[in-house]
Amino acid sequence: MNRLIFLAIVLIIGLLQATVLDVFKFFWVKPDLLLASVVIASLLFELRWALVAACFAGLLKDITGIHNPGIYILLFPLWSFLVIRLSRQITLENDFIPPVIVFVVVISDSIIARVVVLSLGDPVASLGIFLRVTFIESVYTALVFILLFRIIKRIPYYKE
Amino acid sequence: MFKFKNRNIIYAVVPVIILVLLFSFLPSFRAPLLDIAKHPYKVLILLKREIGGLIFFHGNLVRSERLRREVDLLRLKLNAADEAYRENARLKNLLAFKQKVSYKVIAARVVARPADSWSSAVILDKGKHHGIRRGMVAITYLGLAGKVVEVTEYSCKVMLINDPGIGVSAIVKRSRQEGLVCGTLASSLIMRYLPKDSDINISDLVLTSGLTESYPKGLLIGRVVEIGNEFSGLSLYAVIKPAVDLTAIEELLVIIP
Repeated sequence: MNRLIFLAIVLIIGLLQATVLDVFKFFWVKPDLLLASVVIASLLFELRWALVAACFAGLLKDITGIHNPGIYILLFPLWSFLVIRLSRQITLENDFIPPVIVFVVVISDSIIARVVVLSLGDPVASLGIFLRVTFIESVYTALVFILLFRIIKRIPYYKE
Repeated sequence: MFKFKNRNIIYAVVPVIILVLLFSFLPSFRAPLLDIAKHPYKVLILLKREIGGLIFFHGNLVRSERLRREVDLLRLKLNAADEAYRENARLKNLLAFKQKVSYKVIAARVVARPADSWSSAVILDKGKHHGIRRGMVAITYLGLAGKVVEVTEYSCKVMLINDPGIGVSAIVKRSRQEGLVCGTLASSLIMRYLPKDSDINISDLVLTSGLTESYPKGLLIGRVVEIGNEFSGLSLYAVIKPAVDLTAIEELLVIIP
């Protein structure tokens, strides 16, 4: 039941991401709340449920995308898996480390998604646009992640 | 026999004389006295008003609360009316445009946008069921908006002209100079492959040329706001402000070829 609440939150985030979040665009870039929710799921849940949440978030992102349908449903679980593996190697208790992880994940996600699109032969943004969007998106998402993580942590669903 | 004493006479006459004198000179004293007195009057009037305010405070408070509620309700109604007015104006424009254009169009409402920042697109509430097909062109009454790239039974995705994945063959209206308009994922478009000696000026209008098969000729794309040299130095580029405000699209018309 508690995990279902988290999935409901991911669903709400997915709906907001495709509608309301356009109002909060900064230099035509909006934060990737779905990817932030994937990292949060990886930090709060065990592997299996984090992967389920990541698949769900990836699905929500793929539904509205136009350039790369089907990429995020594969990429998001990959990030979730890697974050969980990383959390076993290093301590993530420090408040600064999770936003840094989000920052790195967003950059890696952008690079891989563009490479996949390029390899499929679809048109991609020029290098200038790519750098601008990647940098702003990663910083913006990391900053919003801090707020989102604090809000989600207050909901006591992850205490089994 | 009553006997007048000098002292009695003085006591009776002197006050009378003083009163007469005061009465005679009162008009000349009144103005300066009034000027002096007005300051304490002001203070007293303020005091009176404050006391009155305290006495009627509760009544005023209740009335104020009631009025505030009424204002809130009216503001809500005003907002709703304003929204209806704007929608009405927009739909009237669409209808007028629909009647004016020679080709058949389907009007659709924007329901969502992509979740990522890598594409500029909108999702419309009409699809195959309503006759929309992949590759159809979407416009507003102001000009070109984009192209349908994906269709489902009851919805479709329209890639907007500021998406980097789009390329529209265009001409400058005044000089008929040709170029290719591409998206930048920002508020402006870029017209590339303009020769060094191109006849193009700031504020020139840019239209679709009809060379890109799916876009009908003569649709307004935007206005030139900046001209510069390409990095290679071999050609020019022009920055174009789209005629359509791509951030605030609520309805689109999809052209049926």
